[in-house]
Amino acid sequence: MDQIDHLSGIAPDTELYRIRRERPDFVDGTELCRQTVLTPAHGFDLDHALRAALAVRMARFIGREDLARTYDGMLANAGATPLFSGIAAGSEPGVEADGFLRAILRHADLVTKTPRNNTRADIEALEAAGLSNPQIIALSELIAFVNYEARVIAGLEILGEVE
Amino acid sequence: MSGARFKVKALSWSPYIEPVDVATANEEQLAAMQVTPSNTKVSPYVRTLAHDPESYVARTKLFNAIMYAKGGLDRAERELGALVASAVNRCVYCASVHARRYVELSGRDEVVEEIYVRGLDGSFDDKTKAIIDFCKTLSETPSHVTKEQVQKLRDHGMSKAEIVDLVHSAAIFGWANRLMHTLGHSVPVDTK
Repeated sequence: MDQIDHLSGIAPDTELYRIRRERPDFVDGTELCRQTVLTPAHGFDLDHALRAALAVRMARFIGREDLARTYDGMLANAGATPLFSGIAAGSEPGVEADGFLRAILRHADLVTKTPRNNTRADIEALEAAGLSNPQIIALSELIAFVNYEARVIAGLEILGEVE
Repeated sequence: MSGARFKVKALSWSPYIEPVDVATANEEQLAAMQVTPSNTKVSPYVRTLAHDPESYVARTKLFNAIMYAKGGLDRAERELGALVASAVNRCVYCASVHARRYVELSGRDEVVEEIYVRGLDGSFDDKTKAIIDFCKTLSETPSHVTKEQVQKLRDHGMSKAEIVDLVHSAAIFGWANRLMHTLGHSVPVDTK
């Protein structure tokens, strides 16, 4: 069983579990993508704890408290500081958050909640806060992945409730 | 009558950040972009995402599996899932690409016309409406999808395996739209 099974309520002896395994590229591909955005080999100085903290925050905003708790575990393993725990809790950034971090939070919140409203100015805000191009892309992929994952879980979970 | 058929214009995409330059790219980026001596033309989209080659390679593989894997949900209906997500997220570029693919595969330009003119709450045949409603809710607010919405898909003869495919096609566009619509914008195709 993987994280998607757990959070969608899919047990190994069920029809949905078997159906998922008929699509190994979806199952393995999703886990591989998770590694590349949460615990990448080259993180461009966006460390694993920050990534986990953002994932918790986004999962919470999307309304998946269970997914948030899972990433909270990842955050604890990566080393939760008060600053990162605040990010995870969904709080407004405190005085200890610098401009770089504030820009990241603002962007993660916007792209999670109202991607349709994003404009060029939002990318310029990241550049102005000092994010490099690789950091902008890595952040974008992380945000988008958590939004994808939450939708897969929600969809599979509700499918499991129907005959 | 063919002159009256609804057509979605092909669009191109332009990034807000400077994409990777093939001439100065590192090895990992070149491998991700699949640049070879005979293939040096890489789209701005690929070059933009190649700033983080690790995530690009993994996501592309997953994306291709979800949209093109054999069997299961009809490919046209995967494109419809992609189109609905793109309409919710107002990704004009993704919508144009996948509206066109949907029409190519299904021949149903009237569905695309209704989406473009009246939106996702327009009038559709029952099965199409069931697919659109489910994908719309999943794209907007995943926690609001209902058993009734899934039951309707089942009532229209969709198997659970097909619904798993549909969930993934809408969800992967929750991802793709969050890249394409936030990192760049659509531009008219250069016809020269």
